[in-house]
Amino acid sequence: MGGTKKKGLWFRYLIAVVLLLIMIFPYIYMVLNSFADWDQVDKKLFPTEYTLQSYQWLLGGGEAVIPRPWINAFFNSFIVSGASTLLMMVTAIMVAYALAKMPFKGRDTINNFILFQMFFPAIILLIPTFLVIQRIGMYDSYWGMILPKAMSLWAVFMYTNFFKAIPDTFIEAAKLDGASELQIMYKIVMPMSKSITTVIFLFLFMERWTELLWDMLVAKSDNMLTLNVLLSQMFGPYGGYPGPMYAASVLLTLPIIIIFLLFAKKFQEGMQFTLK
Amino acid sequence: MSTKQGRMGWLFASPYLIYAFVFFLIPLVWSLFLSVTDWNLISPTFSFVGMENYMEAFKSPGVQSAFWVTFKFMAVFVPMVVASSIIVALIVQGLPRFKGLFLIGFFLPYLASGVVSSLIVKGLLSYNSPVNEFLRNSLGLDINWLGSPFSALFVVAVIIAWKFTGYYALILTSGFESIGTEIYEAAMIDGVTPWQRFWKITFPLLYPALFTVLILSIGVTFGIFTEVYQLTGGGPNFATNTWQMEIFTRAFSNLQAGYASAVAIIASVVTFISIFIIRKLLEMWGKRNGWN
Repeated sequence: MGGTKKKGLWFRYLIAVVLLLIMIFPYIYMVLNSFADWDQVDKKLFPTEYTLQSYQWLLGGGEAVIPRPWINAFFNSFIVSGASTLLMMVTAIMVAYALAKMPFKGRDTINNFILFQMFFPAIILLIPTFLVIQRIGMYDSYWGMILPKAMSLWAVFMYTNFFKAIPDTFIEAAKLDGASELQIMYKIVMPMSKSITTVIFLFLFMERWTELLWDMLVAKSDNMLTLNVLLSQMFGPYGGYPGPMYAASVLLTLPIIIIFLLFAKKFQEGMQFTLK
Repeated sequence: MSTKQGRMGWLFASPYLIYAFVFFLIPLVWSLFLSVTDWNLISPTFSFVGMENYMEAFKSPGVQSAFWVTFKFMAVFVPMVVASSIIVALIVQGLPRFKGLFLIGFFLPYLASGVVSSLIVKGLLSYNSPVNEFLRNSLGLDINWLGSPFSALFVVAVIIAWKFTGYYALILTSGFESIGTEIYEAAMIDGVTPWQRFWKITFPLLYPALFTVLILSIGVTFGIFTEVYQLTGGGPNFATNTWQMEIFTRAFSNLQAGYASAVAIIASVVTFISIFIIRKLLEMWGKRNGWN
C-alpha cells in the first residue's frame, strides 16, 4: 500500500515537471534560438550549433543595416517603467490612505467615483488622451509615456481594502505620541504592508514593462523608443533576421524575470493574502 | 482639528482628483465631441457631421467584425484558459512539497511581452519550422496557421491563454486551499468516483475562485491588441479584428480621428453592457446550483 502511494507521488511530480517544461518551452526556444547558428534558427526545436552572432549583430548592426538603438531603448524601458511604477505606487498609497484612514467630507463621493471609473471601459479614452498629451507638449517625451500611467485605480482599490483592515488603535496611539500623518504612513502603515506592496509593485511593473499600444503612440524619435516598441517596430523589417529578434526578446524578457524571481517568495505570501 | 484633518484628507486624495480630471473627464468629453466631427487628427479644421460617424460605423465591416470577433475569442479563449488553469491547479495541488516553486514556474509566462510571445509563435509556425515540418512529413498536414480565419483566431487565443494560465492557476489554488481534506476523506468512505468527486465537491467549493477567473478572462477578451497587431493586423479578412485593433487602425493609420472616436464609444458601450450581462448570468447560474 505504502509502495503504491509513493509510486503515485513520483508519477505526480513527473507530470508536474513535464507540464512545467511545456509551459516554459517558449522561453527555452527563445533563448536557444538567440544563440543558435543562423542556419538553424526556427529550423530545429533544439539547435545543435551555437554562436554569439545574433547578439553581435543586434548591438553592432549588420552590413547594409543601420544599427538600431537597442541599448538606448533598453534604458528607456527602465526609465519609463521605473518612473511610472514608482508614481503609481506613491499615488495609490496616498489616495488609499486618505480613503481608508482619514475621514473627510466628500470621501464617499471620491470612493464611488473611483469605482465608477474602474469599471468604465478605458478604450474610449485612447484617442483623446493622446490629444491631451500632444496639446501639453509631451508628445515624443518620457513624460508623455509616464504621466497617463502615473496612477493605477486597481492599486488604489487594493491598498484601500488593505489599509481598512489595519486597526485604528495603532494609528490613534501614534497620533497621541505626536506623529504626523506622513510619519504614521512611513513608520507604521508601510511596514505592515510589505507583502501586498510587493504584489502590487510586481503587477504594475510587469504590466508597464510590456506595454505596447500607448508607448507606440507617444514615442516617435529613435532615442525615445522603449525596448518593447523597438522590438515591435523591427518585427516585420527584421523578419529575415530572426536570430537577432530572439536576442532582442531575451534582452526584453530577462530583466523582468530576474526582478520577479528576486521577489518571488514575498510575492507568493502577498498573493495568499490578496486572494482571500 | 477636524478641519485640519479634512484638509489633509483632500491633500492626500488630490493626486486622484488631478488625474481623474486630466486623464478621465477631459478625454471623456473630448471623445464625445470628436465623435460627431469629421476631424482627421492633423488638419486644423473640421466640421460637424452629427450622427453620421455612428451610422457609418454600424454598417462598416470593421465594426461588425470587431463585435463578433470579441465573442468568438471569448468562446475559444475562456474555456481554454479555464480548463488549462484548472488542470495546472489540480496538478500542483496534488503535490505535498514544492507547491510554491511550481506555482512560481507556471506563473512565468505571465511576464512575457505580447510582442515576444508573438515573435516566438511566428517562428514556431513559420513554413520551415520544426512544428510545420513535422506536421507535413509525418501527418501530411500543411496548415497556413495565420492565413485562415479560424486558425488565426485560435493561435492568438492560445498565446493569450498561455500567458494567463499560471496566474489563474494561482487564483484557483487559493480556492482549493479553502477545501478541507476531511470532506474528501468522507467522500472516499462513501465510495465516490473521482469524476463525481470533482463535479460534486471540488467544483462547487471552487466556484468563488472560478468566478473570479471567469470574470477576469472575459475582461481580457475585450482588450486584445498586441498579439493581433503583431501577427495578423486584424486579418485575414477581419477574422481577428478586435475593438482595439479597429480603433487603432482607424485613428492612427487612416487618421479618421472623428470616426474612430465614434467607434470607441460604441466599443465601450458594447463592452460595458456585455460584461454586465455575462456577470449577471454567471451569478444566476451559480445561485441556481447553490454554489455561491
